[in-house]
Amino acid sequence: MRSTPPPDHHPTPVVALAGNPNAGKTSLFNALTGQAQHVGNYPGVTVDKISGFATIQGHRLEIVDLPGTYSLTAYSLEEIVTRDFVLKEKPDVIIDVVDSTNLERNLYLLLQFQELGVPVVGALNMADEAERKGIHIDVPLLSKLLGIPMVPTVGSKGTGKDALLQAVLDVVQRRVDTAGRHLNYGPELEDRHDEVVEALRSDAVFSERYGLHWTAIKLLENDQDAVAKVRQEHAHADLVLDTARRAADWVSKHFGKDPEVVIAEQRYAYIRGALREAVRTDPKPSGARDPTDTVDAAILHRYLGVPIFFAVMGAVYSLTFLVGNPLSTLVERLFAWLGELATTLLPPGILQDFLVNGIIAGVGGVLTFFPIVVLLFLGLSFLEDVGYMARAAFVMDKFLHLFGLHGRSFIPLMVSTGCAVPGVMSARTLVNPKDRILTVLIAPLMMCGAKTPVIAMLCAAFFPKHAALLFWCVWLFGWLLAFVLGFAFRKTLFRGEDSPFVMELPPYRLPTVRGIAQHMWHRSWSYVKKAGTFILASSMVIWALLNYPKVGTWSQDYDARAAAVQERARQALEAPGIADEARALIQKKRSDALAAIEAEKRIEAARGSFAGRLGRFLEPVSTAAGFDWKLNVALFSGIAAKEVIISTMGIVYGVGDTNPDDESSPSAPAPLRQRLSADRAYSPPAALALMIFVMVYVPCVATLSVTRKELGSFKWPAFMAGFTLLLAFTLAVLVYQVGRLLV
Amino acid sequence: MTLDQLGIGDSFVISHVTAVGEIRKRLVDMGFISGATGTLLRRAMLGGPLDLRLGAYRIALRSDEARQIVVAGRDA
Repeated sequence: MRSTPPPDHHPTPVVALAGNPNAGKTSLFNALTGQAQHVGNYPGVTVDKISGFATIQGHRLEIVDLPGTYSLTAYSLEEIVTRDFVLKEKPDVIIDVVDSTNLERNLYLLLQFQELGVPVVGALNMADEAERKGIHIDVPLLSKLLGIPMVPTVGSKGTGKDALLQAVLDVVQRRVDTAGRHLNYGPELEDRHDEVVEALRSDAVFSERYGLHWTAIKLLENDQDAVAKVRQEHAHADLVLDTARRAADWVSKHFGKDPEVVIAEQRYAYIRGALREAVRTDPKPSGARDPTDTVDAAILHRYLGVPIFFAVMGAVYSLTFLVGNPLSTLVERLFAWLGELATTLLPPGILQDFLVNGIIAGVGGVLTFFPIVVLLFLGLSFLEDVGYMARAAFVMDKFLHLFGLHGRSFIPLMVSTGCAVPGVMSARTLVNPKDRILTVLIAPLMMCGAKTPVIAMLCAAFFPKHAALLFWCVWLFGWLLAFVLGFAFRKTLFRGEDSPFVMELPPYRLPTVRGIAQHMWHRSWSYVKKAGTFILASSMVIWALLNYPKVGTWSQDYDARAAAVQERARQALEAPGIADEARALIQKKRSDALAAIEAEKRIEAARGSFAGRLGRFLEPVSTAAGFDWKLNVALFSGIAAKEVIISTMGIVYGVGDTNPDDESSPSAPAPLRQRLSADRAYSPPAALALMIFVMVYVPCVATLSVTRKELGSFKWPAFMAGFTLLLAFTLAVLVYQVGRLLV
Repeated sequence: MTLDQLGIGDSFVISHVTAVGEIRKRLVDMGFISGATGTLLRRAMLGGPLDLRLGAYRIALRSDEARQIVVAGRDA
């Protein structure tokens, strides 16, 4: 029984691409659709929907990339999205991308598509790898045995794509009929199955909408999603469910196992039978070892595994900063130049100030770190695509599990060390909602690309002798806090069963350049979007808050003081017979004095602004952690984006823009650094408290927004903001007070 | 004998799965069914996950899950 769309249902035929994870689906998708791809969303869920177009013999086909799944049970979001897409959107054809080196398990999914009654074509992907491994597939015979057209392909090279599209076209144009047969589950099961089908037929509308054959099987398997659909949409739900339950009970009694298991075994038995006939594998020459096994002997070595993991991560980070720092400096210089350009082109006034100190400084400050973030994502994408990340999860799972976290939480946490926005999004791979929410809540505790310059500057300013060491300690602290908090949450708010850890370790495969680039770009793009939207908007708001209201009357006559300095210097320079050195000294003292007066003036201006007033208002409480009004203002601005903390500090300390002639790295504007370490109000304990506060407190607006989107409610970002603020302040006070006693 | 009781390098044949619900679905979908053959390759340290070859592919699972899979030994 099959529910087919009428021939003109889709003006452009829709072809869905499905398959196991690690079967090379993405490469094949890229080969079929070329450059033009569109990334969207499946309605109501946070799973990416990627679609593109392919052409064969002048016909255009729309190709939709479905998430990778092992099965069509309703176990994970990916599986539900896949089957809902097939059931509701009714694509014209499904291409199931099969890993030819792993036929038995990959064909399990193929059979389930067949059960759905939708036309399927099999792409026997990684055909080159199969040949290399001595796996010889009699493709025509296999197609005949399974009743499904099959085409060998090599997705990464594009081999076979025309033949594949031709096969798809044949099905679309009805030259080939694939849905006519379905797997025979044996007489006992078939009879029970027919009983349920009969009961389902009692509602014609339901029968038209959903495949009866498939629904009957799912009901026998006690698939909760199918049960829910029947309950909600079938006119005689009770009859159907009752029939299904009785049938399932009969099967249990007869076979001594659950129908779910019986059906699965039948599928595998059928597949094995077909493979026995159509596939011949060369016996492995004795002593020959799979390269993957050889590499894994080291990487997954019982004792070497963990050190190797840290070494790999260390290498990724080192390379990222090695190549990224010079690039960051370039970006910084670009924005400084833009600032100067604006200063010269525009007349001094509100517009110039707004553009230069508001927008260019704000957005520039963030985009300066873009190269570093992109490189980090490049490294992580490579590790994922080559197959190492699965090994990392294997090696670290015990450790994560001790803290109540799931092995899959690992990647979101790693990604968050670059930026929490894509980090939170990667938590989608966690099946269990509790695991997922938990991971999202702790991910922003990592030191991300935005916090890095702040921490680095503070380390350099207050702990010059051990700056690098301290920096990495704070970095580790982020991880430690995440684990501890994860553990605490697991024991209190998110109690429950541990989700199973059953994970495939794919063979190591060299990723395509295009694959990694896309993977990396997808994540980096979130970072750019963050800058273009939130940070731009926030920069404008913060600029306004810091610049208004303007000071009515200054507390002292700054102009007069400046004039006096100029006068004194002029007189000193007019003295007869003055040496060049003395002359230079007088000039330097003059510019220093003028700068100091300017700084005092700016600080007073900041103090009187809205932001300054807020900072002062919070001061009585914040001094417990060693923060004065200036730091309060800076920290408040950090809610927009953590990078902004540095530029705001520049403003409230009267330093203004970073001196473009300064040779220092992007993360340590020297004038600010000097001013901070010179300010006697600050001390190492206060600096430490500040660093910890910055690491922990309220995640930036972009992260909060993406949290709301991923978890579907305002309560989670609100909770996140609340608990991080409380925790950050508590820790900061603790560190400051204890530090003061010790120092 | 359950899967977690095997020694490193032991080959096995799966008898049945004692898990229920979500875990069983997951295991069955991944190929842990009667008659499937495989080898235990290694364990992560400190009682971490097991690394198995099952048929043509590799799967990692925790001892908790392995304890719910009944197997018989097999001469490789």
